Amino acid sequence: MLDSDPDSVFHFYGTPAQRGSQWGRGRPIDRGRFIQVADPGLKKRRPLVYPRPLNFRHRFADETPMLETVNLTKNFSSHTAVDKLSLKVEPGEIFALLGPNGAGKTTTINLLLGFLTPDDGEALVNGASVKANPIAARRQLAYIPEQVMLYPRFSGMENLDYFSKLGGRKHTRKELLGLLEGVGLQAEPADRRVSTYSKGMRQKVGIALALATEARALLLDEPTSGLDPAASHEFSQLLRKLADDGVAILMATHDLFRAEEDASRVGILIDGKLTGDYARNEIKDVDLEQLYLKHLRA
Amino acid sequence: MIVSIARKEFVDAWRDGRFRWGAAIILVLLGVAMLLAWQQVERGREERVAAAALERNNWLNQGEKNSHSAGHYGVYVFKPIAPLSVFDRGLEPFVGTTVFLEAHRQNQASFLPAQDATAVRRFGELTAAAGLQLLAPLLIVLLTFGALAGERERGTLRQLLSLGVRPRDLVLGKAIGLGLAILTLLLPIAVIGAVALAKLPGSDVAGSWTRFAWLGGAYALYLLAVLGVCLTVSTLAPTARTALAILLACWAANAVLAPRLVSDVVQRLLPTPKLADFETQMREDVKKGLDGHNPNERMREFQRKTLEKHGVSHVNELPFNFRGLLMLESERMANEVYDHHFGELWNLLETQDRAVTWSGVVAPLLGLRSASMALAGTDFVHHRHFSVAAEQHRREFVKVLNEHTMYSKSHSAGRELWEKLPAFSYKAPGTDFALSTASPGLIVLCLWVLGSWTALLVAAPRLKPN
Repeated sequence: MLDSDPDSVFHFYGTPAQRGSQWGRGRPIDRGRFIQVADPGLKKRRPLVYPRPLNFRHRFADETPMLETVNLTKNFSSHTAVDKLSLKVEPGEIFALLGPNGAGKTTTINLLLGFLTPDDGEALVNGASVKANPIAARRQLAYIPEQVMLYPRFSGMENLDYFSKLGGRKHTRKELLGLLEGVGLQAEPADRRVSTYSKGMRQKVGIALALATEARALLLDEPTSGLDPAASHEFSQLLRKLADDGVAILMATHDLFRAEEDASRVGILIDGKLTGDYARNEIKDVDLEQLYLKHLRA
Repeated sequence: MIVSIARKEFVDAWRDGRFRWGAAIILVLLGVAMLLAWQQVERGREERVAAAALERNNWLNQGEKNSHSAGHYGVYVFKPIAPLSVFDRGLEPFVGTTVFLEAHRQNQASFLPAQDATAVRRFGELTAAAGLQLLAPLLIVLLTFGALAGERERGTLRQLLSLGVRPRDLVLGKAIGLGLAILTLLLPIAVIGAVALAKLPGSDVAGSWTRFAWLGGAYALYLLAVLGVCLTVSTLAPTARTALAILLACWAANAVLAPRLVSDVVQRLLPTPKLADFETQMREDVKKGLDGHNPNERMREFQRKTLEKHGVSHVNELPFNFRGLLMLESERMANEVYDHHFGELWNLLETQDRAVTWSGVVAPLLGLRSASMALAGTDFVHHRHFSVAAEQHRREFVKVLNEHTMYSKSHSAGRELWEKLPAFSYKAPGTDFALSTASPGLIVLCLWVLGSWTALLVAAPRLKPN
């Protein structure tokens, strides 16, 4: 029996039928190539609302990147916002995109979301062109802006329920509560109208939404801007947890500290061009601020 | 997905204090308007029944007199109040309620309710129809101007679209949710209207339910068109403020500007004659016919032909009273003149109404007003139907009196003759008649629904976040 085999991934995630009843309500859930992987190292049974296997970023580094831009170019009149940008974000990777205001970070995210059409090059999500099918691309993404915008007359729980339904996932109240508690929002605030929420609480709802929609990639636009250090730290922990679950994360930020702490790779974007792309081990002994300023002055 | 969006919009609308307050105000205003109209209609119906009974009594008890004098004594007939004027009074305040039927003359309806109204009436009359025509669209504007433009401004649109929501699904879901929110507001109004209608006495009320249902349909089409326009503007406008400004301008153009402008233009293109000119011309033409009282050349010619036809040399030798025949012939000729003049005038008024209705393609209120009045039985076509029935009654009544003069040995008549003349009984036309009159307005509203919702579906894919 598959589900009694301790080496089978089904031991940890339930049979497809069980998952169907829990997450997909009878619809098949595309788990792609990950579903067949048995990992004896995964001993701890994960709650069913966490759909993704843990720690496979290294194992699948040679596979198709989750997020990719190939010579991506976007012009606004005579101004080139993104100039032949090529980058890749693998599953389980946190790619911090650093750059000054107007460097093209948000434009890059908009191109990956399909909100803008590139003038040249291509944005790819899981190997598929965003331009060709933006809806399908967005279905695999979660987007967390600088300020997660929610409906003020609804509670955090109701917002999460609504957004996750629109993201194609239906959850029970218990599951949603589990997700909100998982990101640090307890039942009482979860049932309060979000008009009373702090920015940190809104960002947590954003993360819960990424979990609820089982997003395979996360696009973050200045997510910690304006958060107090404790909230920022809490947010980073959640990001790392998501990355550990195999989610590819592209984070546009000014926050050098958070980039240094969280990112597995750091890219520096100046005037729409990627002037630096460093793996974590390449910058572990380097002062990131000095490196960034060096790129800026170059 | 569309269902989820619709449900959220519905709940969100009712959680919005502005909508709740607006809805409550509209509900109270329309409820009060209908209650007052109901009282007015019930009182008016009682008054008219009482007046008709009194008039009949006067007629029967007028005593012995020359039958032709009874023709000049005349009778008043009263226009029944349409039951659905509880909802839409239409032209009723501006057209007469009473017609004086007498020999020789076709009179227009007189005693206009507007003439008896107080000065407050100059500020306009609040009816349920006016409330729905003017205030409900305003509420829709206030509810929907930010539906999509506001989402864009707040950043929730970016959040929604980033989830892979199709813009068309989003727009349709919003339209359904907001439409249902408005429908739940209108249902109590429909219930109040139905109760008011059910409480009215009279057999004609029973036939009004189908018209009432059609009225509901016409207003639903109108509000659906307004909803389509509002959401299209909200989809395309860069900001919620811009959407609000555009929609308020559209509301003012539809509710205030278009009705005045169109009626002025139509009056210029299809001018109606002045009342004094109309009556003078008609009098002149009547004079060219036979005068039953004063001898003239035409009368002498008619007398000569009559004597010749019967082979006699003097009117006293005729087997009937020549004076009675003269009256009959004089009425026949005058009726031809009246048919010509009133026919032309009424046709012109109907052409004007049709022109105003078809102008509804630029402002849907014009189409709705026309359909609403027609279905309520308070438009000009219904008034004409009554006027024609009253005139038919006059002609029959005068004919009976003149025939009495012609064949009776004694010119004097009494209660026996007066009773031979039945009381005026008017049966308002049925739903088919109302529907055929309302059809141009309904077509205009259908065109608006089709146009506005097509525009919305075309605009939806252009929905982009900031």
